[in-house]
Amino acid sequence: MKFRIAKEAFLDGLQQVQHVVSSRTTLPILSNVLIEASDEGLRLTTTDLDVGVSGTAQAEVSKAGATTLPVKRLVNIIRELPSAEIEVSVDGKNVASIKSGPSFFKIIGLPDGEFPPLAGFSEAKEYKIPQAIFRNALKKTSYAISTDETRYVLNGIFSSFKEGKLTLVATDGRRLAMVDHELEFPSSHETDFIIPSKAVQELQRLLGTEGDMILKLSDNQVCFEIGSSIIVSKLIEGNYPNYRQVIPGDSKERLTLSREQLLETTRRVSLLSSEKSNSVKLTFGPNQVDVMANSPDIGEANESLDVKYEGKEFSIAFNPEFLMAPLKSLEEDEVHLDLIDEMSPGVLRTEDAFLYVLMPMRVTS
Amino acid sequence: MSKEKEGGQENDNENQGDQNNSKTWNLVREKLSEYISGDAFSRWFKNAELVNPGQQDGLVAVQSDMHQIWIETNYMDELRAAFAEGAGIHCSPQIVVKGDADADLLPETVVGKIPIQQESQKIAVRGARANNSVKVVIPDLEEKTQAFQRKLKRLGINPDFDFESFVVGDNSQFAHAACSAVAHQEGRSFNPLFIHGRAGLGKTHLMSAVAQQLLANDPKAKVVFLTAEHFANEFIEAVRKGNLDTFRKAYRHVDAMLIDDIQFIAGKERTQDEFFHTFNALLNSQTQVILTCDCPAPEIQTLEPRLISRFESGLTVELQPPGFETRVAILRRKMEQWKVELENNIVVHIANQIKSNVRRLEGALTRVASYSFLSPENMSIEKVDELLGDLVRDENTHLVTIEQIQKAVADYYNLNLSDMSSRRRPASIAFPRQIAMYLARKLTKLSLVDIGDGFGKRDHGTVIHACKKVKSDIESDPEVRGAVEKLNASLERRN
Repeated sequence: MKFRIAKEAFLDGLQQVQHVVSSRTTLPILSNVLIEASDEGLRLTTTDLDVGVSGTAQAEVSKAGATTLPVKRLVNIIRELPSAEIEVSVDGKNVASIKSGPSFFKIIGLPDGEFPPLAGFSEAKEYKIPQAIFRNALKKTSYAISTDETRYVLNGIFSSFKEGKLTLVATDGRRLAMVDHELEFPSSHETDFIIPSKAVQELQRLLGTEGDMILKLSDNQVCFEIGSSIIVSKLIEGNYPNYRQVIPGDSKERLTLSREQLLETTRRVSLLSSEKSNSVKLTFGPNQVDVMANSPDIGEANESLDVKYEGKEFSIAFNPEFLMAPLKSLEEDEVHLDLIDEMSPGVLRTEDAFLYVLMPMRVTS
Repeated sequence: MSKEKEGGQENDNENQGDQNNSKTWNLVREKLSEYISGDAFSRWFKNAELVNPGQQDGLVAVQSDMHQIWIETNYMDELRAAFAEGAGIHCSPQIVVKGDADADLLPETVVGKIPIQQESQKIAVRGARANNSVKVVIPDLEEKTQAFQRKLKRLGINPDFDFESFVVGDNSQFAHAACSAVAHQEGRSFNPLFIHGRAGLGKTHLMSAVAQQLLANDPKAKVVFLTAEHFANEFIEAVRKGNLDTFRKAYRHVDAMLIDDIQFIAGKERTQDEFFHTFNALLNSQTQVILTCDCPAPEIQTLEPRLISRFESGLTVELQPPGFETRVAILRRKMEQWKVELENNIVVHIANQIKSNVRRLEGALTRVASYSFLSPENMSIEKVDELLGDLVRDENTHLVTIEQIQKAVADYYNLNLSDMSSRRRPASIAFPRQIAMYLARKLTKLSLVDIGDGFGKRDHGTVIHACKKVKSDIESDPEVRGAVEKLNASLERRN
């Protein structure tokens, strides 16, 4: 195999795929990137056996072929090369010679035949989704994914194609984020599945704002085609719990607030929360809400916001991180906060089909 | 809130328990509703129930996975306080999902499937949360919940094999009593319990019954129920994969170990070795061990003596072929279960034809009953004979042959088979030959002439003399008596 490639292009291509590789691999070949050179350029693929990413890079290929090289080391080398032009040739023993200007590197790779192939999707359901929509939907839900490995079913985003809508849900038991979007797909393609958290991360890295993404679904794998890049991932097996159960019934109070103001205020005030006292308290009074944080050894902070409120005075406390996360992910100017009482979860909603249920913390007086 | 009906629970104590349970739960719920607001309380606890009182405090069954997740993450403090303040019970509440647990593997009950991979461990841990909220306390054939039945099937236990369905007779009374005692954990000294008997006499049935009762007593009990073959295979896998630690953990930290057909480990040195260590570990921790075997322990060929002695160190019981009345009773039981009706003389006839093997007896009944159901004509004795032809033949071909006798005796006395028919006269050869002739007379229907022929064309008079001599020796010499009895038993058993 022999090719010439621009440093930028090579680095870009490698960085697209390197995050999937974990630092502690069970098989040596999993630390390597599969490089396939053909008339069309290079295809670079990495996998950790659960998620695999494949991307392309423009290159002048004089001799087609394939090999695998340790990706971390390769990226470090390429990054440091002096010249913009790189020449790579790989011999029959998978030893790669990298030439760039006066520099010469030789690294030993493993045969491409050993590289685990990404799953095929011949009998798969296909969906076409605008990248912007999916990207947005992931942004609005991914922060709520559970990291508790004992609840593995929650370690991903529940995705459902039903009745002309794409719905994404993520929860960790303390909060739940849900977003809908209208989408066209045949009714025979109604289904749901759970995308693992690692695949979500890769998606967020690769998805753009233009064009469409093709989603292919087989029994236990999903594939996302984004331009010339492909993400393949195992699905999380199991039944996602009934998320609708979590959404409270009618609220007692609905408050409409400026999203940015609430976010900024909470951010500022939470500077005074600590590990021991990790909450911000919202006290609702006539046409205003006081946002407070208080740590015994550190101090306190208090800021008030204008809000149309005519109910009786009451307080509710939330984890500041959990409160800010959805606010950061949204773009709307206004958010609605639906509350019942200080012991019941609050629900953050927007005009669009977004919903966020957040359990309160105990109000410390 | 009234607790779900546990279907005809007759036991007064049970009813009292239920009532107490309801009362307790009501107190807890009342307190809980003070801590958790209306919407949340109704949303998460409306259909929650307290289960398994007396066995475990604070076990709450809820209606879905989401309920379990949300309550566990958010309301445990309130629940604990509600138990303490409301009902005076100090416990660590546990939430389970009602009905079937979706987990494939439950760490509590391992069935020769070892959670080796990480994936399985994740599922297994989840299973620990989604603990079986088995509602049945006393398993009754009709009353067993779907969940319990599924659990049994997962463990490889046939739900039909329980104490209720086992017909006890003289042939099985002792074995049945021993198993019953073990199942109700009254027989601490019956450890290990070694059940032996020929094929088709109920060993697996009894052992399954014990397993079911143990599980019903304590749904969280780690009951291991498997064949020795499975144990051996798992062991080999574990050695191959280097997972011995996991294997040992799975089989040594259990509440009861029930192994079927232990004779399978005969001749398998490494498995025997591993089993020896497992066995010791279990006995040392006073874990109940039950073994079944198709012959008495000392007769298992190529089994390490130290294992033989351990098998015999507890209680050994034998299952013998059922007598006539028992056979009829078994047939009647089955007929009741299958809702089948047959004339009495037919039932008696079947019982007379099939004597040695309950499995075969049931097979005979199935055949006759099915035919009777499908055919317009009345069942007759002749028809029965026709239908059961091959089964009856099987019954009878298991008569001992001269060759078998000769072989057994030759083995026992360390002789060659040919010595049995040879002309050699030293007592060390002649006497065993005489014993063999005696047994041939006793166990086969062959004539004296035929027996003589089988021993190298000897005269029938020789056979008569041999039988007389052995008979008198049996009466006078306990050694001879013992030897003959042993040989006799082992020959009968082999068939």
